[in-house]
Amino acid sequence: MNNIYMPHLAEIREIIDESPDTRTFRLKFKDADTANSFEFKAGQFAEYSAFGDGESTFCIASSPTHKEFIECSFKVYGKVTQSLQRLNVGDTIGIRGPYGNWFPLDELKGKNLLFIAGGIGMAPVRCVIENVLDWREEYKDVTIIYGARSVSDLIYKQEIGEWKIRPDVTTVVTVDPGGATPSWDGEVGFVPAILEKTAPASENTAVILCGPPVMIKFTMPVLTKLGFRDEDVYTTLENRMKCGLGKCGRCNIGNVYVCKDGPVFTYAQIKKLPQEF
Amino acid sequence: MEEKIITKEDLLKLCDDIIAKGHTLLAPGIAEYVPVTNASQIQLDSSALPTKASYKSYVFPKAEPILYYKRSKNDVQLIDADVDGKKIIVLGAKPCDTNSINIMRHLFNWDYEDKFFDLRQKHFIIIGLMCNSFDDYCFCTSVGSSPVSEEGSDLFLIPLDEETFALRIVTEKGDEFIQQYSGFLKEGDETRSFAVIEKVKHPEKAFDSKQVHEWLGNNFESPKWDGIGNVCLSCAQCAFVCPVCHCFDIVDEDYSYSEGRRMKNWDGCQFGHFTLHASGHNPRDIQSKRYRQRVNHKFRYYVDKFGQILCTGCGRCSRGCPVSIDIKEIVANCKD
Amino acid sequence: MEELRKYAKELLEKGEVAAVIGYQQVNERRTKPIIVTDPADATKLVFNEYCLNNLSVYFTRARIRSLMRTKDKPTKLAITAKPCDVHSIIALIQENQIQRNDVHIISFYCHGVVRDFGCEFSGDYLASKCITCETHKPLYYDKIFGEDKVTPQASDKSLAKIKELEKMSSKERFDYFKSEFDKCIKCYACRAVCPLCYCQRCITDKTIPRWIESSSHGRGNFAWNIVRAFHLSGRCTGCGECDRACPMDIPLSLINRRMAMEVKDLFSFVSGRSLETPTLVGSFDKKDNDEIFM
Repeated sequence: MNNIYMPHLAEIREIIDESPDTRTFRLKFKDADTANSFEFKAGQFAEYSAFGDGESTFCIASSPTHKEFIECSFKVYGKVTQSLQRLNVGDTIGIRGPYGNWFPLDELKGKNLLFIAGGIGMAPVRCVIENVLDWREEYKDVTIIYGARSVSDLIYKQEIGEWKIRPDVTTVVTVDPGGATPSWDGEVGFVPAILEKTAPASENTAVILCGPPVMIKFTMPVLTKLGFRDEDVYTTLENRMKCGLGKCGRCNIGNVYVCKDGPVFTYAQIKKLPQEF
Repeated sequence: MEEKIITKEDLLKLCDDIIAKGHTLLAPGIAEYVPVTNASQIQLDSSALPTKASYKSYVFPKAEPILYYKRSKNDVQLIDADVDGKKIIVLGAKPCDTNSINIMRHLFNWDYEDKFFDLRQKHFIIIGLMCNSFDDYCFCTSVGSSPVSEEGSDLFLIPLDEETFALRIVTEKGDEFIQQYSGFLKEGDETRSFAVIEKVKHPEKAFDSKQVHEWLGNNFESPKWDGIGNVCLSCAQCAFVCPVCHCFDIVDEDYSYSEGRRMKNWDGCQFGHFTLHASGHNPRDIQSKRYRQRVNHKFRYYVDKFGQILCTGCGRCSRGCPVSIDIKEIVANCKD
Repeated sequence: MEELRKYAKELLEKGEVAAVIGYQQVNERRTKPIIVTDPADATKLVFNEYCLNNLSVYFTRARIRSLMRTKDKPTKLAITAKPCDVHSIIALIQENQIQRNDVHIISFYCHGVVRDFGCEFSGDYLASKCITCETHKPLYYDKIFGEDKVTPQASDKSLAKIKELEKMSSKERFDYFKSEFDKCIKCYACRAVCPLCYCQRCITDKTIPRWIESSSHGRGNFAWNIVRAFHLSGRCTGCGECDRACPMDIPLSLINRRMAMEVKDLFSFVSGRSLETPTLVGSFDKKDNDEIFM
């Protein structure tokens, strides 16, 4: 029988320091068969192993349309992320996955897309954006609103630069008041305020929203005010997980298991859940 | 269902044979189910209360390796962990224990199949024994079972008198197992065993599980949880002695600079750090939320997912609770 | 009993205390803790030989401590405590976990409690700590009920076991504890019931670095139980709650009692007996034997 807890091995090909505490690994599966057969959809997550210290859960941050490697971005917080941070290019990590559900990009074809992200919440959103940009003709207007505490906390600076110069994408980047540098040419203000100022059209638009709970709390009323329906707002929940397989018992919110029924939920679904997350 | 008769003497001979064949024979001991090395140690007492711990650890060990790793300069080598496929025969399992593997099987097999659980449970033969006693903490009848329930048993024993048992063949697995001992069996007489079963006193039904299920769905924010949360001390005794609690942790353990193993260990939802995020955020930050999770998981979430109550009514959690929290009383109180 | 209920009710009604941490009868031979905040519930309070819990553990729980701040002015917490539980309260005060002024101790003359719920109160089933107990009257209290009675006679089996272990070779002793610790399932009930295990984050829950393996195999179990014994040396007051709470019947108090004997021999110190004497670990005496420092 297969061991469902057995990770695939992958080599770190490249390390990108996104911000002082956030790092991206570009990973290549060691086994050629796995590299060819590993498929996932935007929004799914995986369990990443630092052998000796354990596993940690992050979304897959690269687009499923990029077959040659996968990427993950993580903020250094706990035991496993500290251990991952000590690894270098050429070192080996473990990957189990992909797990969970995904953003319904097929169903959203023909719609406008509004991406709103805060801080490290850009990681799952970036995966969707890159995916959408590869299928650009399938979607109408694409708007990206991204905020972080300060200029140095903005992640994916390279990608943001590329989105900014694209004529078919509206990109608004903001930092919290006090977080700007003298040379900062973007917006200054919290994400909900910048969203209100940008005021994207709600007609035939789906929202992909990820960020800290406090940002989501204050962004939702603005979206409602702008005419967005809860059913059209997609977000992800991040509960503590160990197995990712619906067994270890940590990530449930009521009878919803975030690792199996999530991590992607519409805001309408989240409102129906017991408020315990 | 086929019914046979076996004398106690022959049953013990059968046990000696099981031991001689090198299988593990488990029987209720003082605190837990223990491996028997000599059939004379076996007490087949239908009036004994449940042991302090169930035989859960034999199918879902308290700590087990799930893989081994070796690190060299840049590389890592992974070695799969094997499951010891030893046959385990449980003799004299209480009806409140016999169904535990069936209940947990749902969890370990929905979508992803946990080979560690599956390979172990495949090698189990469960010989249940009718139960003829209960105390204040027993409530099997409230969760759809009973002291004479054969559910989960492969073979089921009913004491007819001091020296003889009726042996009911419940499953094909049980049938296959007992065939090799057919010399010990005589034809059964169902009227005798039915007469015994009829006299068994059942614990009074303490609650209606359907009503509890409904109440839990409407009372997530009930102040009742606060009161329990104040008294509960957040140990996981209740989860660890429970025959069906199955939450676990996954941790890495180095045993040298370059080698180690990944372990799957019992964990409990009553621990504060169970759901603690690395950021410091904790969705179940206080004890009342954790106790609410425990009751809801057993009587609502598991029912919604798998159509099965995650409780056998054995009462172990209440009997052993250091602060005498009685789950039967709490669940019975899950009404307006 | 009526006196106790009346007294508790008055304390609550006058607002002198925010809550009374007490015992409630479950059945004839079992009681359980109850946190009384409503004066009407004071009628549920009891005290008898089945009051096994050491309720001082609740002083270490944030939710219970927060009750002291629910009213406009800071209010005390009352506790019904056996004389031996008062030792734990003293230890907690000495370690600055609570202030004497925050606690209203309602105590009793005590002639012993049963070993476990459901037992008959007699010498055969007397709790181990009661056999040699010399504190029938609490050392500190704000109110006392009852009268002094004689404790049933019983033999000190726990001391006999300690003597037996002392006579063993270290290999035999190791094997004995190995077989006991093998049973440990790491449910941490011993830690949860212990009034002196009050660390916000226990060393066994720390992961960076992980000092104690969380797996309940031989190594992890030894590490946990030995570290706990060290951390309680000179602090454990011998209430025996860990013994009672252990679902696997590991005789934890043998270790704690043996360590307490060692501490008494070396430093003439017994934990939780005086509000004037500083704690053992928190004080230094020039007469202390240098060799005991690591």
